[in-house]
Amino acid sequence: MQQAYKLSIFYFLVFSLLLIVSAVMLFEHKIGFSYNSVLEYYIGNEDKFIPAQSASGILKIVLPHVFVFGLFAMVLLHFLVFTEFKAKKAFLILIYATFIATFLEIFAPFMIVSGWSFFAYIKLFSFFIFLALILFTLWLLFRKIR
Amino acid sequence: MKFTVIKNIQKNSPMSLILRGFLLFILIYLISDIFVLKSSFGITFDGVNSTLFGNEELYIDAINEASFLEFWHTQIFFIMMILLTLSSIFIRVASMGRVILTNTLMLSAIISLISLPLAFYLSDFFTNIYVITYHLWHIIALIMILYALWKFNAASV
Repeated sequence: MQQAYKLSIFYFLVFSLLLIVSAVMLFEHKIGFSYNSVLEYYIGNEDKFIPAQSASGILKIVLPHVFVFGLFAMVLLHFLVFTEFKAKKAFLILIYATFIATFLEIFAPFMIVSGWSFFAYIKLFSFFIFLALILFTLWLLFRKIR
Repeated sequence: MKFTVIKNIQKNSPMSLILRGFLLFILIYLISDIFVLKSSFGITFDGVNSTLFGNEELYIDAINEASFLEFWHTQIFFIMMILLTLSSIFIRVASMGRVILTNTLMLSAIISLISLPLAFYLSDFFTNIYVITYHLWHIIALIMILYALWKFNAASV
């Protein structure tokens, strides 16, 4: 890897951290990090005048995120191919885990509005797992380009 | 990102053409971004302050927190993807000043993105930093695009 490319990658990692911070703030503000707040956001609460989300409304939010999450995960994970980490089996696990967590995070809301309240936990769990995996990948890359 | 490993990228005519086309689209995007922000979020001190905090004289309501966070979130994503690809191309074609320009571009973009929530949550003083760094990174990005296009054209003649 050229020395100058490490500069581009380093700044990309900084931007990624900013993106994570903004995602956490947005999630906290719009949905909240408790089981009840996730349920209220998706199936509504008449007492609090929170309208329920429809499947088509969720699809509008999901649509750009499917592309963006996929692209972001691909760009970030493919940098690891340039490191010695690529030869390890853990790399495959990391790739599978990241894409599975992303899939669950994006599509859990459809299950919540279909009556599967349990998926509120899946939504929260997959969001934090996704963040943890991204932070782990960032840490690996920071160490490599240091 | 195949262009990062091709030897003598300027002499490789298909890749050179693809990258010239891509640079042209980034150029159009950045210029369009300035016009779109000018008419929506604002690109001047007064414009951004009116959007963030409202303006009673002009009957403009302050932006709500959810809309602000969505705007910030999408801006970060677009800017990071654009600057990663632009800097990767620029590094391949530039011989001098590439580290200084790349550092200035990235730092000014990061400072502009950090100063935005600081302006919204803390103080309107950060609006000044946002506006200055927003214009700075746009100018540097435009210089980098034009320089890269010039280098590609010079090699193809």
